[in-house]
Amino acid sequence: MDILLQLLLSGIALGMIYAVIAFGYQSTFATSGTLNFGQGDALMLGAMAGLSLSGSIMGGPYVNYWLMVPLVLLIGAFQGVVVEFIGVRPAIKTKSEFGWIMSTIALGIIFRNTAENLWGRDDLPFPSPLPTEPLHIFGANVLPMELLVVGGAILMMVLVELFNRRTIYGKAVVATASDRDAAGLMGINTGLVITFSYALSSMSAAFAGVLIAPITLTGASMGAVLGLKAFAVAIIGGLTSGMGVIVGGLLLGIAETTTGFYISTGYKDVPGLVLLLLVLAIKPSGLFGKKAIKKV
Amino acid sequence: MLQVKDLKAAYGQVQVLHGISLSVPKGQVVTLIGSNGAGKSTTMRALSGMLKPTAGTVMLGGQSITGLPAHRITRRGLAHSPEGRRVFPAQTVRDNLLLGAFTRLTIGSSRARGDIEGDMDRSLDLFPRLRERQHQLAGTLSGGEQQMLAMARALMLNPEVLLLDEPSMGLAPILVEEVFQIIGRLKAQGMTMLLVEQFAAAALAVADYGYVLENGHIAVHGPAEQLRNDPKVRDAYLGSAH
Ligand SMILES: Nc1ncnc2c1ncn2[C@@H]1O[C@H](COP(=O)(O)OP(=O)(O)OP(=O)(O)O)[C@@H](O)[C@H]1O
Ligand SMILES: [Mg+2]
Repeated sequence: MDILLQLLLSGIALGMIYAVIAFGYQSTFATSGTLNFGQGDALMLGAMAGLSLSGSIMGGPYVNYWLMVPLVLLIGAFQGVVVEFIGVRPAIKTKSEFGWIMSTIALGIIFRNTAENLWGRDDLPFPSPLPTEPLHIFGANVLPMELLVVGGAILMMVLVELFNRRTIYGKAVVATASDRDAAGLMGINTGLVITFSYALSSMSAAFAGVLIAPITLTGASMGAVLGLKAFAVAIIGGLTSGMGVIVGGLLLGIAETTTGFYISTGYKDVPGLVLLLLVLAIKPSGLFGKKAIKKV
Repeated sequence: MLQVKDLKAAYGQVQVLHGISLSVPKGQVVTLIGSNGAGKSTTMRALSGMLKPTAGTVMLGGQSITGLPAHRITRRGLAHSPEGRRVFPAQTVRDNLLLGAFTRLTIGSSRARGDIEGDMDRSLDLFPRLRERQHQLAGTLSGGEQQMLAMARALMLNPEVLLLDEPSMGLAPILVEEVFQIIGRLKAQGMTMLLVEQFAAAALAVADYGYVLENGHIAVHGPAEQLRNDPKVRDAYLGSAH
């Protein structure tokens, strides 16, 4: 029983990471109908930048973990702007339906290669800002860092929701997502809103990167699998539903940790992928999605 | 106020507007009538920047707005209540109205902020049924209520020129009358308007001047009074159906 609780809690932490990355996919899809397939690499860049700032690999640490986070968020946002500007804007301008797919993947690979050259190919440990002694909660061992992951993920989503509901700029983002032409008539620069959504998307990936890095290892290839799984989460939950990515993330996270323990770590990816296939077969718009993937 | 010369527009390869010239003087109501598919909505879209014109010039208050993107034209003070309402369904009535005032609420924008709350109040006075529903999601309004919201939202810009594309579409007869009364009231307040309406007779009654659009050309134009008495216009547009 204790072990099950522990697996659940680890699954929740992992699931929230997936949810944060998946949220990034949603944010660009909502405003522009496009996705950043370099999300995983944005996550990796965030973690590597974080390690360079608050670890000792580049003559640091320069700042502590807590000061590093806002800096990494800025770096992530900037990286998103670059991706939108180079990879996506031209495709939207020319109304190319698929141009952005290849260019966001290509940019992701370029970022990964650059990271390999800058930081090497080996996985590096990321110093934990919190004690690494597990806490005992109802008999289960929980890393303080796992609690931080869950808290950080929830905080981010609440802040974005407040921004969307309470500020005129957030309302403009929601309006652009629901009807781009009509939003333009309100005087909203919808091209800029799309750039912003890319910034937000890469920023959330970078945030996920510095949240998860202290629990796992940091390296140029850390983002690939996470980015892909979060994409599965976005599809499972529905590309248009905020609730969907949280539920989808938790489902996948818990499925992985429990399968890894009760069956074999070799099979831990299988249940999530089976879930993905099932959802695609039965409800292609996702568990919480409203309409099928087709916009532009 | 609004001066349009030889405006052409197309959807892809299909040319829809073949050189339209019209003018909307300050403080006047001008109406554009024509049968379905004549290009009325396309004209509106080409003016507000929803559609980029392929040729011609559009001047607003003496300055060219030709080919500008929609958000920049809006910032110059042209409001467009588009065909098919286009309200933001997942946001409240109040949020929709605030979005209408977006360019007045943001930092560094060219439009004066003015009295947002006061304007909101006046809009809701104009459309009392919106006041009762101001905290409701726009998507839950009836079609007619959404139509009113689209109009109220456009007014929140405090525009120099207001383009209204079929503001009475989908409304019950009593409400159609109400909408025309509201247009009359706005006119009395000095609002400059370009109006597209299926009820051509009612539109010509409230308008100062009219243009008849046929297949992307202006066929006839003249003072509203004159068009109402023109036998050809009568037969084609003021008959039983309209
Ligand atoms: N998005 C579009 N893509 C291609 N063609 C279009 C598009 N919108 C309109 N058209 C075409 O342009 C022509 C003019 O359409 P428009 O909507 O301007 O007519 P309208 O005068 O407003 O008609 P209605 O009274 O029915 O609203 C029509 O032939 C229509 O088929
Ligand atoms: Mg029309």
